[in-house]
Amino acid sequence: MNSTKPRLQALRDAVNHVQFNRFRFWFQFAAFVLFVYGGYISINLGSHMPFFSCGYNQEGRAGVCYLLPLQHQLGQPWPRLFGMAGIAVLTGFLMFALWFIVLNKGWCGFVCPLGTLQDWLTALRRRIGIRYSTYSQGQFAQLTRVKYLLLALLVLIPLGIGGGLFSHNMSPPFCLICPARMILPMFTGDFSQFTVDFSSKTSMIMTATGVSVMSLFLVGSFVKKRFFCFFCPMSALHYLLSKPALLKLKKDGSKCTRCGDCYNVCDMEIKEIADDVRTANIMTDDCTLCLKCVASCPEKGALQASFAGIPIFVSTEEGFIKRMGKGAHHGK
Amino acid sequence: MENNGKVIPIHAEPYGRSRQAGEAQDVLSHLVEDFEDNPASMQYFYDLFRRVYCHGEEVPHRGMLVGTTCIQAPEELIYAFGATPMRLCNGSYHYDQKGADFMPSKSCSLVKATLGMLSAETQIPKVGKPDMIVNPTTCDQKKKSSAMIGGMGYKVYDLEFPNVKESEASRVYWQRSVRQFAAELRTLTGRKLTRKNLKAAMEKTGRAQAAFRTLHNFRRKSPSLLLGKDAFLVTNAYFFDDIERWTLAVEKLNEELAQREKAGFKAVQSKAPRVLFTGSPPIFPNLKLPLLIEEAGGVVVADETCSANRMLYDMTAVDEWLVNDMVDSLADKYLKPCTCPIFTKNEDRKRRLLALMRDFNADGVVYQAFAGCQVYEMEYRSVAEEFNRMGIPMLYVETDYSPDDKGQLSTRIEAFLESLKNRKKQRA
Repeated sequence: MNSTKPRLQALRDAVNHVQFNRFRFWFQFAAFVLFVYGGYISINLGSHMPFFSCGYNQEGRAGVCYLLPLQHQLGQPWPRLFGMAGIAVLTGFLMFALWFIVLNKGWCGFVCPLGTLQDWLTALRRRIGIRYSTYSQGQFAQLTRVKYLLLALLVLIPLGIGGGLFSHNMSPPFCLICPARMILPMFTGDFSQFTVDFSSKTSMIMTATGVSVMSLFLVGSFVKKRFFCFFCPMSALHYLLSKPALLKLKKDGSKCTRCGDCYNVCDMEIKEIADDVRTANIMTDDCTLCLKCVASCPEKGALQASFAGIPIFVSTEEGFIKRMGKGAHHGK
Repeated sequence: MENNGKVIPIHAEPYGRSRQAGEAQDVLSHLVEDFEDNPASMQYFYDLFRRVYCHGEEVPHRGMLVGTTCIQAPEELIYAFGATPMRLCNGSYHYDQKGADFMPSKSCSLVKATLGMLSAETQIPKVGKPDMIVNPTTCDQKKKSSAMIGGMGYKVYDLEFPNVKESEASRVYWQRSVRQFAAELRTLTGRKLTRKNLKAAMEKTGRAQAAFRTLHNFRRKSPSLLLGKDAFLVTNAYFFDDIERWTLAVEKLNEELAQREKAGFKAVQSKAPRVLFTGSPPIFPNLKLPLLIEEAGGVVVADETCSANRMLYDMTAVDEWLVNDMVDSLADKYLKPCTCPIFTKNEDRKRRLLALMRDFNADGVVYQAFAGCQVYEMEYRSVAEEFNRMGIPMLYVETDYSPDDKGQLSTRIEAFLESLKNRKKQRA
């Protein structure tokens, strides 16, 4: 008993003092390899993944992004959808929710291949020495709503297709414009998604939009950290389910000096992380739970990540000094 | 005969130096001799102040000298350009009287003393004539000093500082202002701001801050390992001392405190009331109030003032170590956590005070407001209400640099400490 306690504390200290950015880089790298190439060694985690493990990457995927089956399911003819098939939709959603609950939005910050790709583009820009761009607060307030709009369309358009209101060529609507559909298969040598489909007017419009969105994605993520995540409908869906999630980002406002260090490093420019000293559950809808804020907080216990109520990564002064000192040394 | 009939000029200098030196000598001997068991590593600081303030020794500096009239001027930038920052805020009553020529009689002693020092022929601490003085536009008195300092023949740069800090607009405005300051320093020094020199500068300040934080954390211990008068002297030395030498001296002091902790050392009696100090900053030789508190058996365990905690506590986080991001991060550090009363709202100051009360296990608060320092005088009410609500006793002291009120203050402080002791007893 006596020997376990200091050992546990030593482990906690080691975790809290970790070179966080390096840890996260390798974690993301491993997750990227798993979900983009895992299929080659027959890993299949199902089709309810709460992140962009793109289904169009037919050979390499180790699981399928839930948005693909969801749109297909919702696009069934209404009599079927509102009959027995409805139960399949509900159970599918439940499976998705169960996956989601484990990591919360941590799927975005640590696992999503499209998110990781954006971080790599960011790293490339940083190496070249170009500064990132930011939104103004006004722009931010407007842009943050786009993802909800996309989520609504992602549900309504398939319903419309099922009801015969829209052409089948629009299905699955979000996937057709999602940059992951074109980019992720490319990593396994599949460039077939990289086309504009001229077979019908609707297909042409959808796939052309897709190509433009992808170009925008590449340019956008180069100049803006986590450019696409602001608009991600998966992120919106996450937020609607985040209450019971196990991984949580917590803030103790009484320990916060509002120094803004966390806000300063936040890829998603979330001001509340620094300024809100009342909300304990500080994860907002734009958050990707990357936990960079915890790593850059110099106040002991002001920010922490907890899993099922157990603190797993807590901000500390020593950790901060170590990490920032290392940061100042890097590149020497 | 030797003068060939020339008039020998009468220097104000020796007289001034002696009065200034006398004041410093008096405070220093109280500070050192009235207390037993001063840490051995404090000797560096006692000697430093004796040499600089009492003997008028010069403090050498590297590169150009940039005077600052407030902690809001980012020192990392000044270091990055190969210049040395020097905080001009002054604590001498002698200079305060000299500065009275510039300001209305009912204005802040600190501002008057700074003006008095700058206008004097002999300036203590003797670091040299600043090549530029940065004057952040914080309180009205500092704002208005700008033109007066300029009138004395100094090159003054007004660093535009917002007076609301919550809004994103002020943050962006301030970031721009800091970038302009960097451009100004570039013109002044003829050097360039690079990733390398800014990083090195931030490391230097970062190490000093880490040393300060360690010292700060030692003060949480009850009974105390270190007295507040020594802690103030340490942070006051940061105003003019070489930053690297200062950091080494503080690290040495920290080592000694670690040993003291191991040995179960007590710098004060176990029952000594623990005081949190806030308000107008104590600057050597005006350590009147902290000294009175500790001579009466209390101990200052923490402070919320711009001559100590507020100057060194908050640290900078950078996401991408590129010049732009580093400069913006620095700007954030100098604005967002600041608890200066010049801002419209003072929520952060109240929250900081409550956190310090809790973390340092303090029994009461002493609030110093320099007569004429309107912002601190005006914030008294809201701070008092907050403490009242939380049941925390506070003593509000309006004073200035003059030693005349010492007797009267000593009685009030003794009574306050006595009441804190009684409260402690009743609670036990």
